[in-house]
Amino acid sequence: MALPGTHRAAFLFLKNEYLPTPVISTTPATRMSKQILKELPELVRANVISEETAQRIADHYNAQPNPSTNRLLIVFSILGGLLVSMGLVLIVAHNWDELPKGIKLLIGLLPMLIGQAVCGYIVIKNIPSRAWREGCGVFLCFAIALSISIVGQVYNIEGNFGRFLMVWMLLTLPVIYVLRSPATAMLYIVGVTWYACEVGYFSYFSGGAHPWKYWPMLLLILPFCYTEFTLKGVKNNFYYFISWLFTLSIAICLGCFESHNGELLVITYMSLFSAFVILSQMKMFETNRVLTNAFLVVGSLGIMGLLLLLSFDWYWEELDTLSTGGIEFYFALIFTLLAAALLVLLLRSKPIAEVNLKVFAFLVFIALFVLGVGSPGVAQLLVNLVILVFAVYTIRDGATKNHLGILNYGLLMITALIICRFFDTDFSFVVRGLLFIGVGAGFFAANLYMIRKRKQSS
Amino acid sequence: MKTFTIILFVFMCAAQWLVPGKMIFDSEDVVTGGTVFKFKTQPVDPSDPFRGKYITLSFDANRILADSADWQSPGEVYVTFTTDSAGFAKPASISSTAPAAAPYLHTTVLYVDSGDPAPITFNLPFDRFYLEESKASEAEKVYWEAQRDSAQVAYGVVRIGAGNAVLTDVMINGRSIVELVKAMNNSPE
Repeated sequence: MALPGTHRAAFLFLKNEYLPTPVISTTPATRMSKQILKELPELVRANVISEETAQRIADHYNAQPNPSTNRLLIVFSILGGLLVSMGLVLIVAHNWDELPKGIKLLIGLLPMLIGQAVCGYIVIKNIPSRAWREGCGVFLCFAIALSISIVGQVYNIEGNFGRFLMVWMLLTLPVIYVLRSPATAMLYIVGVTWYACEVGYFSYFSGGAHPWKYWPMLLLILPFCYTEFTLKGVKNNFYYFISWLFTLSIAICLGCFESHNGELLVITYMSLFSAFVILSQMKMFETNRVLTNAFLVVGSLGIMGLLLLLSFDWYWEELDTLSTGGIEFYFALIFTLLAAALLVLLLRSKPIAEVNLKVFAFLVFIALFVLGVGSPGVAQLLVNLVILVFAVYTIRDGATKNHLGILNYGLLMITALIICRFFDTDFSFVVRGLLFIGVGAGFFAANLYMIRKRKQSS
Repeated sequence: MKTFTIILFVFMCAAQWLVPGKMIFDSEDVVTGGTVFKFKTQPVDPSDPFRGKYITLSFDANRILADSADWQSPGEVYVTFTTDSAGFAKPASISSTAPAAAPYLHTTVLYVDSGDPAPITFNLPFDRFYLEESKASEAEKVYWEAQRDSAQVAYGVVRIGAGNAVLTDVMINGRSIVELVKAMNNSPE
């Protein structure tokens, strides 16, 4: 029986035994077009399409720009912009004191003028080339730093590095929006993080100063991320890099806001990491691979790392001297409310059974915290239990999803818990030894089971 | 959308020129019209990733006796200077409002010691003197050689205007440190 044309085409496509498993990539057009071009002679031979149609399809795909070449061009453009501008910064930093003041200023300010001229040309001519936009954005970012530095150098202006970073980043911000440049946005997030660390951690004379301007400066990047990625439904490499930098930036800089109540800051961190895991479960932030989902990786590792730290007694012993108030209290309150609001939103859109268990970590920890004020020993014991529950859940999750990485991550959590208890319990060496052998055998058995299961299903 | 981008671009360029432009204008204003003071100093040689090598100056004239209750760190203050018998700058007064006439320095309190009146230590915002990278460590050497001879004195030449200050040179025994390094490099070993 002859199949209708469309069914025959589908049949011919499916009978290819080397049919790759569908992988959603950032350049689906390339892989798809290669596959179609490969099938064209077969389709013509089977009279599914005419030779003329096959030629037209081939011409169509050959006329498309090659995305992999484009991607390389963008990478080289960013690298070129970075290296040239950083080279210029170093050359000017040499300080050519033989040159007159006016010439030094002119040389220092010229790269910014060139960067602005290229930027203006791109904007007015509406040049869509990503390579031009990224290269120009990165170059202009460093040219701005150069222009401020040269004036500071010529007039020996005091070196308040935190203030310099703040002014530099604020002047870089419009470049991101004018050129729609994610590479510049990445530099901006790094710069803003550097500013917060400089003021909050490194500055000797900050006298406990908090980098308050960090929050509005970081949030100013969000409209760009929304219009560039969320609104367009784009999840490319730039999206992954920016989400990694964004999550790491908050995780690093939150510690700058500690003053005297470090115990309360742990609640803030637990709520932050839980909020990250909640976000990772939302459709808007879901990705196909675990490593590309920065919210999930940073959130999950953060929760487990914190819980492992809290499984020691030092934290719980200091809880009786705790005072409510101070900046940490308000931070804990804001971040907990934020995580709770996100959790409500998530549970409205997803059934509870499909949600990662770690989204509840902040609620569990708050309960343990309240318990720990009265009975620190019980709270400490329960933390161990929570780690064990999360680890078992992760192993089960890995087995269900047939994902060796997740499964081994769960096993690693148990190993880490045993290593931590290795130092502060009175178990005999025999018991500890048996525990390690047990976990090692568990690693072996679980991986063997998964690999066999995969073989059977294939 | 394009019009909005062009408007944003114009504002971006204006802001990017405004910051270095204002810095140049303020500094030139002090360099041309400010009063010269000599601040006794001790230089060392670190470096800045963007502006290059410099010598850091540690000044003696950064403390003044005042009522400790009136000041706190890091509050903003206005300091006026006078000269001692040797011709070096020393703080004359500290106030929370700008004096009626220049020269005065707009700065911040670093810390307030105990006592009444208490020594108030304030920031002198001209602690860096940028040099060509090969000369910075030589300059430090010149300074330390000068230190061995107690008769030699190092000081920074600072021009102070209405709030701002610009360090124009660092002198060792009346000669610019840049000239001394140049002479040292030119002289045979």
